[in-house]
Amino acid sequence: MAGYQQRLKQFQEILDADVINLKSLKSLSFSSGCPHEKGYRSLCWKIFLNYLPRERAQWPKVLQKQRKLYQQYMEEIIILPGKKMKSQASASGELGDHPLNPNPDSEWRETFHDNEMLVQIDKDCRRLCPDLSFFQQATEYPCEELVNASSNVENLRKRVEHCVLQSETVSKNRLGITFNAVSRKRTQSDEYAVLPDGKEAHWEVVERILFLYAKLNPGLGYVQGMNEILGPIYYTFATDPDQGYRESAEADSFFCFTCLMGEIRDFFIKTLDDAPCGIGSKMNQLMAMVQKYDRPLWQRLEDQELRPQFFAFRWITLLLSQEFQLPEVLRIWDSLFADKDRFDFLIYVCCAMLVSIRHELLRGDFPNNMKLVQRMGSTIDLQQVLTKARELSSG
Amino acid sequence: MLVLVLGDLHIPHRCNSLPARFKKLLVPGKIQHILCTGNLCTKESFDYLKTLASDVHVVRGDFDENMNYPEQKVVTVGQFRIGLCHGHQVVPWGDIESLAMVQRQLDVDILISGHTHKFQALEHEGKFFLNPGSATGSYYALDSNVIPSFVILDIQQSTVVSYIYKLIDEEVKVERIEYRKS
Repeated sequence: MAGYQQRLKQFQEILDADVINLKSLKSLSFSSGCPHEKGYRSLCWKIFLNYLPRERAQWPKVLQKQRKLYQQYMEEIIILPGKKMKSQASASGELGDHPLNPNPDSEWRETFHDNEMLVQIDKDCRRLCPDLSFFQQATEYPCEELVNASSNVENLRKRVEHCVLQSETVSKNRLGITFNAVSRKRTQSDEYAVLPDGKEAHWEVVERILFLYAKLNPGLGYVQGMNEILGPIYYTFATDPDQGYRESAEADSFFCFTCLMGEIRDFFIKTLDDAPCGIGSKMNQLMAMVQKYDRPLWQRLEDQELRPQFFAFRWITLLLSQEFQLPEVLRIWDSLFADKDRFDFLIYVCCAMLVSIRHELLRGDFPNNMKLVQRMGSTIDLQQVLTKARELSSG
Repeated sequence: MLVLVLGDLHIPHRCNSLPARFKKLLVPGKIQHILCTGNLCTKESFDYLKTLASDVHVVRGDFDENMNYPEQKVVTVGQFRIGLCHGHQVVPWGDIESLAMVQRQLDVDILISGHTHKFQALEHEGKFFLNPGSATGSYYALDSNVIPSFVILDIQQSTVVSYIYKLIDEEVKVERIEYRKS
């Protein structure tokens, strides 16, 4: 316990300085992780991802500027079109645009295109971290304009909700008319509990961030898996003990996510898979590392034709977020973000994971091994893996 | 919310299919709801509509094979109650006073009917009466010069914007009419 108190103190000392000593902060976080207490982790991540500068004095200015910018994005991309959807003015009979307009510059066409993407984002966000209730809970700081029913803005969830119109059949006899309500079919919103109006779940905030990111980066758009990258970041920021940070968790996680994606976006671009910066070369790097440190294991994988594509693809693109429980993921990311040559350490961790189950791998047959490497998290001890990875990277 | 309104296809008896130009426009993924005024007449036409949208509401016309479609139906979209009826039961056919009676019986804001194979949209005593015409342009008992047409309703809080698609000289023409609930 004393050691932990001491570590907290170390963090406090570094973070309280006027100019933050990035090197010592990184090495501290790299070796033993950031404590969640007092929002150190959320602060450290913001610094590591270059969202906050090293000079403390500039923080309020930077934060204010970026949060305002985010508000602007929201206004332009979500709220304005949402308003238009609900109350299209111009009563004139002349016609510019119509729903089935095949022209590429039609606004309707763009809306349909957005909705297609939104359907995917919506699906992925609803099932984000299903074993954690956090994302299903209501956020303390929803976007007022979207949540408030009187403001007439359609929120993203409703835009893509599949519903069945409520209908009644009419039957007549000599006594008059009877309306028979047709029993409604099961709709999607029945499967997932939806919060009442005026509230917004955390996953809806995540959905909004992803949609904004996809709209602002049309070259990349939305690729499945981005939600898994954003999830831990948002979780960390939205559970910050400091109220000011918690309030702006949405804007802050958007920019940190953007910074992070700037570094790993190549993994998400299919055409770059075989390029030197793409996922393919990273997997080769991993296998080369395994070959270097544990040749029998490498030989085994090679003989069984257990290709890195089967497991390491997910490990690397999603920064291991799918392999472990969220608290463990946070711990791994502390080290990953604090890495001097960012994401080289990721390869070391992957390598250490393989090495740590080498006995099982050397014994098992292909199907067993396949199962083993795809469901890693429950079988291995994270601390040991990280220690091993540090050993490999320093050696 | 977008709702496609069409009817009086009469496939295969009077026409073999929807005009190619219309088929090109009507693709899945854009519209979620269809209101059909009937006379499809076969199951195949209904299945085609199902491919466009999952939520299809049909009333029975005088040539429909399927006897299970209801004669009349009331659908609620947001603030609007929409009545759906083929219209061959309402005599004189297409007469606004007779249709207004049905509208009052069903207590709806919008009454959609077909049968006359002629597009019509008008406000009568504060209510909206819509006839999408025949989507295939098939002939009608009293008229053989029929312009193919269908309608898309964009239903918002208190307004309905109708986009009318007509096929005139092999060219799709679009009009826009707005109805505001008073």
